[in-house]
Amino acid sequence: MSTCRESELDALLAGELAPEDAARVRAHAEVCAACKHALTWQRLERGWMTQRARREPARPALSFSALEARLAVAQKAPAPVRHARREGQWRHWGKMAMAAAAAVAFVGLSLPRGGTGVGVGVGTEEPWSRELLVVTGVEACEDAAAALEARVGACLIASPMLALRAD
Amino acid sequence: MVLVGTPPSDTDGERGLLRRARTGDPAAFRVIFERHSPAVWRFLRDLLRDEAAADEATQETFVRAHSRLGALRDEDRVGSWLLGIARHVYLESRRTRGVHVDVADEEHAHQVEAVLPTPSPEDLLLDQELAGLLTEALGMLHAERRAALLLRIDHGLAYEEIASVMGWSLPKVKNEIHRARLRLREQLAAHVGGGRP
Ligand SMILES: [Zn+2]
Repeated sequence: MSTCRESELDALLAGELAPEDAARVRAHAEVCAACKHALTWQRLERGWMTQRARREPARPALSFSALEARLAVAQKAPAPVRHARREGQWRHWGKMAMAAAAAVAFVGLSLPRGGTGVGVGVGTEEPWSRELLVVTGVEACEDAAAALEARVGACLIASPMLALRAD
Repeated sequence: MVLVGTPPSDTDGERGLLRRARTGDPAAFRVIFERHSPAVWRFLRDLLRDEAAADEATQETFVRAHSRLGALRDEDRVGSWLLGIARHVYLESRRTRGVHVDVADEEHAHQVEAVLPTPSPEDLLLDQELAGLLTEALGMLHAERRAALLLRIDHGLAYEEIASVMGWSLPKVKNEIHRARLRLREQLAAHVGGGRP
C-alpha cells in the first residue's frame, strides 16, 4: 500500500519520472486495482482540462495595448506604498490607462525584489482505500481511451499547457 | 523605445525573450504576454470565478511582472512565476472584495465515502453539460486547494513549482492535490461511468 501514491501516478502520466521509476510505477499499476482506477480518473481529468483550455475563447480585454497603457500609467505613478493601496487602484488604473492609450511607450524597468518562498508545513499524501473503489472494466476503458484519442485526433491525457505550447 | 535586432517571434525561447524584455524591449514583453496571458487569465478566472475580475487581475499580474522582471531567478519558469504573481493578485483581490469564506468544502475530515465509478471512454469527451459540472465541482473546492490542483492538472506545473507558488511544503502540495482530486471525483461521480442521468 505504501507504493500507492497519486502523485507518482500523476508524474508517470506527465512523463516526469526517471525511466526506472516509471517502470516501477507502471508495473505496480498493472497489478494494483486501486492505482489502475486512479490512473483512469487522472487520464480523464487531464483530458477534460485540455479540452477546456482549448475551447476557451479569446478575451478581447486581454489586449496588449491595454496593458501598455496601464504600464505607462504605472510608471508615471508614484511608487505604491503598500499592496493595499495598489489594490484599490486597479480599476482606476484601468480607466486611466485606456485614456492614456495613445501616448504609450515602454520605458526601462524598475527591478524590485520579488519571488516566492517555500514555507513549512507537514502533510501526507493519503493513500486511498481500495475497498472504496469500484474497479471493474479498467483495462477496457484504457484501451478504448486510446481509440477515442485517435478518433478525436488529440492526445486527451496531455497536459493542457504542453498542448497549447505545441499549438 | 528603440527596438534592437530582429523582432521576437512566438517560437523564441523563454530565456531569450526574458532577456530582451529585461532590456526594455516591448516586443519581447508582448510575446511573453501573448504566450502566457490566456493561462494566467484562466487561472484567475477559476480562482475568482468572475470573468471581468479575471480581466482586471490578469492585467494587474502583468503590470507587476513587468516591474519585477529582474527578480525572476529561473528563466525557464516564466509560466509558473507569472502564475505565482497571479495568485498574489488573487489573494489581494479576495481581501479587497471581502471574500473570506470558501464555499462548501469539506474541512470536517471528509474522506471519500462514495464509491467512485470507473470512467468509461465516452466520459473523456467534455460536452457542454460536463464542462459546466466540472466548473461547478472545481468551484466547490477550497480556493487554495483548487489553486494547487489547477496548477497541476491545468497548467502542468511540477510539484516543486507548485510548492514554490503556493508557499507550501512538498508533502503538503501532494496531499492537498490528492484531496482535491478525490473531492472532484466525488462531485462528478454521478456523471461518469455511464451514471449520467
Ligand atoms: Zn497501488
